Amino acid sequence: MFDFIRGPLLWVAFIVFFGGLVFQLLQFFTLTRKKERLFLSVHGKTKGRWSIESMRQWFESLLTTIIGTHPMMTILTLIFHCCLFVTPIFLLAHNILLDESWGISIWSFSESTTDILTVVLLVCGALFLLRRIFVRRVRAITTAFDYLILFITVAPFLSGYMAYHQWFHYKAILFAHILAGEVMLIVAPFTKLGHMLFFFLYRFLIGSEYSFGQGTRSW
Amino acid sequence: MAEHGEKPIDRERIKTFLERNKGKMKRLLSHCVHCSICAESCFLYMGHDKDPRYMPSYKAINSLGKLYKKKGKVDRDFLERIKTMVWRDCVLCRRCYCPIGVDIPSMIALGRTICRSQGVYPNFDESDQKESWL
Repeated sequence: MFDFIRGPLLWVAFIVFFGGLVFQLLQFFTLTRKKERLFLSVHGKTKGRWSIESMRQWFESLLTTIIGTHPMMTILTLIFHCCLFVTPIFLLAHNILLDESWGISIWSFSESTTDILTVVLLVCGALFLLRRIFVRRVRAITTAFDYLILFITVAPFLSGYMAYHQWFHYKAILFAHILAGEVMLIVAPFTKLGHMLFFFLYRFLIGSEYSFGQGTRSW
Repeated sequence: MAEHGEKPIDRERIKTFLERNKGKMKRLLSHCVHCSICAESCFLYMGHDKDPRYMPSYKAINSLGKLYKKKGKVDRDFLERIKTMVWRDCVLCRRCYCPIGVDIPSMIALGRTICRSQGVYPNFDESDQKESWL
C-alpha cells in the first residue's frame, strides 16, 4: 500500500493536477474568445510610466483594493499563500527525493527554515478557521465544504510537520502526509482551490474596471 | 408581487438560461472562496448595519448559486424568496470588489433575468401596501 501511494498514485495526482490545470486553461480561453475594449479603470493613467505622479496614483489605487480596506487580511493571505507554494517546493526532503528519482537538484531552504514556514502557514490556517467560525459575515456564507477545503489545504503541512518531528507513529503519519498532498493536487484544479490559476486569469485577462492588466477578454 | 402570480414555472426555460451561462457562472460560483471581503464594497451592506444578507457574495450564492444547485428545479416560492435578493438588496451598481475577480454583478443579473422570465419581479406601484422596495 505504501509503495502504491508513493508510486502510481503520485503519478496520478501529478497528471490530474497538471492535466486539470491545462484543461481549465483551455476551457477558459475557449469561453472568453470575445474581446471588448474597456476604457474604465480604477488605475489612473498619467504621462510617464515611472514618473513620481504615476507611481503615486498607482499607490493610491492600491488603497481602493483590499490592501486599504482589509490590511490585516491582506498580510495574512499573502503570507499564507507564499508559504503554501514556497515551503513544499524548496523543502530539502522533497528535493532529496527528486534528486534520487530524477537526478534533478534544486536549491532548498534549511530544515529549520521550512519548519518555521510550516508553523506560520498552520497559524494562518488556524486564523482562517477562527475567522470562519467567529466572524458573523464569514459564517453567513460558510458551508461544510469550506471547512473541508481548508482542511485539505492545511492537512499536507500539518502531517508533514508531524512527520518531521516524528510525532505518533512515523510511518502512519508519513503515509497520511503523502496521501494528503495527493488529495490536494487532485482536487485543486476542479474546486475552489482552482483560484490559484483563475485569480490571474480573472484579474489580468478579463476586461474589468478592477483589472490589474490590460485585459480585454470577455465571457 | 408581479401579475403572473399563478402562472406555472417554466423549468425548461430556467434550465436553458442556466445551461447557456454554465461555463462562466459555474466557474465563478466555484471560485468564490467565501471570504466575505466583498462586503465593504457594497453600499447597501454598509447602509444596513453591516447585515451579512446584503453582502454581494451572500446574494449571489443564495440566488444564482442555489438555482444551479437545484438545477433549475425550483418553484414559485423559491423565486419569490430570491426576488428580494436580486431586485431589492442589489441595485447592480457594479461597485462590488472581489479580490479573486469573481464578477458578482453578472451573477445577480442572471438571477434577475431568470426571475423576470417567470414573471417574478418587483411591483413599484406605491399603492401596493404588501411590499416596500424602499
